[in-house]
Amino acid sequence: MSSTAEGLKARPRPQEASDWFTIPAPLARLFKKFPLLTYPPNELPARSPDIRHVPTLYVFISDEDALKGLPSFNPSCLKWQTFLKLAGVDFCLRSSNNHASPTGALPFLLPPSTPNDTRSQRPIATNKLEQYGLDNGKPKLPESLGTRLEAYESLLDHRIRNAWLYTLYLSPANADLLTNLYITPTTSSRPVRATILYQLKHAAELEILKSTSRDAINPAHLYRGAKEAFRALDGVLGDEEWFFQSAVPGLFDATVFSYTHLILHDGLAWENRRLNDFLKEFPRLVSHRNRIFQRCWESGE
Amino acid sequence: MLVRNIFGGAEFLSMNASAGTRTRSAYSAEFSTPINSDPNLRLSLDGLASSTHKPWASHEELLKGGGLRLNWAKENGDRFQVGYSGTWRQLTGLAATASPTVRGDAGDSVKSAITYLFQRERRDNPMLPQSGYMMKTTTELAGWGLLGGDVGFSKSEMEIAGAVPIPIPGSKGPSGISIGCGLRTGLLYSLPLSFGLSGASPSRLNDRFTLGGPTDVRGFSLGGLGPRDGTDALGGDVFAAGSVNMLIPLPRVGPDSPFRIQLFANGGRSVAMKNQTKSNDTASGQRMTASSVLKGMLSATKEVGTGLPSIAAGVGLVYAHPVARFELNFSLPLVTREGEESRKGLQVGVGINFL
Repeated sequence: MSSTAEGLKARPRPQEASDWFTIPAPLARLFKKFPLLTYPPNELPARSPDIRHVPTLYVFISDEDALKGLPSFNPSCLKWQTFLKLAGVDFCLRSSNNHASPTGALPFLLPPSTPNDTRSQRPIATNKLEQYGLDNGKPKLPESLGTRLEAYESLLDHRIRNAWLYTLYLSPANADLLTNLYITPTTSSRPVRATILYQLKHAAELEILKSTSRDAINPAHLYRGAKEAFRALDGVLGDEEWFFQSAVPGLFDATVFSYTHLILHDGLAWENRRLNDFLKEFPRLVSHRNRIFQRCWESGE
Repeated sequence: MLVRNIFGGAEFLSMNASAGTRTRSAYSAEFSTPINSDPNLRLSLDGLASSTHKPWASHEELLKGGGLRLNWAKENGDRFQVGYSGTWRQLTGLAATASPTVRGDAGDSVKSAITYLFQRERRDNPMLPQSGYMMKTTTELAGWGLLGGDVGFSKSEMEIAGAVPIPIPGSKGPSGISIGCGLRTGLLYSLPLSFGLSGASPSRLNDRFTLGGPTDVRGFSLGGLGPRDGTDALGGDVFAAGSVNMLIPLPRVGPDSPFRIQLFANGGRSVAMKNQTKSNDTASGQRMTASSVLKGMLSATKEVGTGLPSIAAGVGLVYAHPVARFELNFSLPLVTREGEESRKGLQVGVGINFL
């Protein structure tokens, strides 16, 4: 402890120095000696994730399903989960919520990281996930198809999505399903659940109104739009295995699958089955969904 | 805003709204009334909505809640409080570099807790103690039994501080020199929710103790002690911190002035309960049995006493205003753990309760 005593004597000096940005060299050398003793780091708490060497996709999913790597129940999460699986990226899933996301919405991917390197902890948001999948995947995936794709993507992003939002979030028949998926896992407190449910429904309503540019929501109109969109998708798929005559399924296939799978999924207790009934009129879309499911979840990993 | 004597019985209603950099916004309201016209027995009802930026763990915490408290004081000045509080906490607004641990704890949780507080103040001047002692204990029980909520734990904290005046031989009257010491400890024990059939969840980021900073362990940044994931301070389930300081009046100003020179050494240790059953599943931290919680807490408590605590020492100037105490300290760390954030150099502290 003799150097401690020296340190004590030397201390008041920098306060006298008017310019403390340039610490004199002998003082700087002395400062460098502190701390005199450094122990190894503290251990992390029990809830800290152990797995850091594998990329982790944060999605809406139950904890049990996340362990098994099962499909998420949220279309945008499922879209990227499917895409990364199709791209052959090795990743694990973690159940999460929108508060964890850098963009305010799931999913996002945390690349493999080391705790001491904060840059490696930067999450990858959805707008960069396609590139990440193409860079880190194994098989060759079809490149983006440009404007033709965009036209069909907008069918999914608007017509099908609006009908989905209405069916899950606003249709009273599916209120129990919505509560089970999004509200029950967040908290056990009734008033908080009611508040979150209200916020969620309100957000869904705003999304639909923004997308349709109308003053009120017209369910018949939304469902008609969804049916037309399914017909168009069925037409463009034709009798091919994957969309746009591609040899392997790509991002667009994953996007279509994210809706068709959830609409047809028996594990979700749909009470309002309008979308399900529509989709069954297009067997080619149903078998497309089955092909993707087999490729991603049924072929031995 | 403060309204006194609303119904003519020494009730008061106070409402506060504030905004700032760390506490982005805070709104609170409290209604307090004496019971049986006894000024030493008060019942108060309060509500709170706040948003606090916590840069040491890369997030923002939104709180909405309310509580009911019963305060009573004895003739000798000892104060007691029992209360219930229910709070909806939202951990949100994460920084881009937030660690996986903070991302994992983001989201909603509800704390429903009963608290018990005891405080004995026997110091001559709490802002600049020359003699006497104080003792404060806080106990909180959350989520157990019929309380409900999403988090279950018992959380106890104890603080003891004391000071003795040092007379100068040969001079009459108080010298103004004193030696003080303080000790704080706390323990957070995870309990199962309701009646314990589902196992206990390990503690969350916003329930654990943060240690370090200009008003507790000086020479460390806010939350600078304890486990860290990258740059994020995660807090500990068990902590102990102590300090020794000597207050000396400024030459020529004398012992009656509110200024003192302070020599101090303080240190502490903050340890989180780690998961004993290391497995490869991501959800391993979700549920623990009673015996694994006990084992985890025992090993964490043992870890607190392993090796030297993290220590810093230094010298500074203290100004004790009646409302708050101001400190400007120069300190150097002596012992740290890797990753802990110590400060070499100057640190400013403003507060009412220093270690």
